[in-house]
Amino acid sequence: MRDLAEKWPIAPDWRSAAIEVTGLKIRPVSGLHQRLVSGDLGAWAEASGFDGTVVGAFGPAEGIRYSIRVARDRVLAVSTTPIGMATGWFAQGFAVTEISAGLQVFEVEGAALDAFIARATTLDPNQPSASAALSFAGISAFVYRHEGKLRIHVDRGLAGYLWTWMEKASGNISVGPSS
Amino acid sequence: MQLFPCPFCGPRDETEFHYGGDAGNARPDGADVPVDRWTNYLYLRSNPKGAAREVWVHMNCGEFFVMERDTLTHKVLSSADLGGGHAA
Repeated sequence: MRDLAEKWPIAPDWRSAAIEVTGLKIRPVSGLHQRLVSGDLGAWAEASGFDGTVVGAFGPAEGIRYSIRVARDRVLAVSTTPIGMATGWFAQGFAVTEISAGLQVFEVEGAALDAFIARATTLDPNQPSASAALSFAGISAFVYRHEGKLRIHVDRGLAGYLWTWMEKASGNISVGPSS
Repeated sequence: MQLFPCPFCGPRDETEFHYGGDAGNARPDGADVPVDRWTNYLYLRSNPKGAAREVWVHMNCGEFFVMERDTLTHKVLSSADLGGGHAA
């Protein structure tokens, strides 16, 4: 029988994968705890103890705990330490869903970051937008800055595609425009 | 490429949006709805030349909203979420 798996490249090992070209460094970020919170976000902030920092598209997140706004009534809570709150529906009016395994995170830095962003989206990275959910490299992603680097969260099933796209894009950026 | 104003996110690429039909085309309710009312709801579209009120959804954030735009010039006149808020 034909092995159709040959048609696709082997998925990278996210523990060691890296892209390094002139002006760009891209690496996967592992170990983040991610919770999707929907509903009354004020009640969530009060109950969870997450601080009030909520970032939108290309917004600056800092520290080991922060929230990303992804819709009018939804945030993605991100932490490097376990989020000590149960999942499920809360009577205060919000629901918490564990999604750490569902979203792959990448981090991009370097002098060519603006050129990288320009290839991925038509959105102006200097214009604030309430939601970090946007089309990036043709797929839906959460995009913001964390301590000066660009962070991208995508559905894990699309991570292989985005990695391939980033390899091509970064290669083209390092070569520069053709004459 | 055109930018559409999501009432929550602000200006975004048109490819992030999906058309949802004429605004105000409410689904008939009840057991005694006449057949011409169902026909009107299911098959007849306004298709105006000029100003149009349409339902759109921003696929990335899930916001459903009403957008007023000119079908001739493509100029966006306004956008408002279905709860009544307006785009900044």
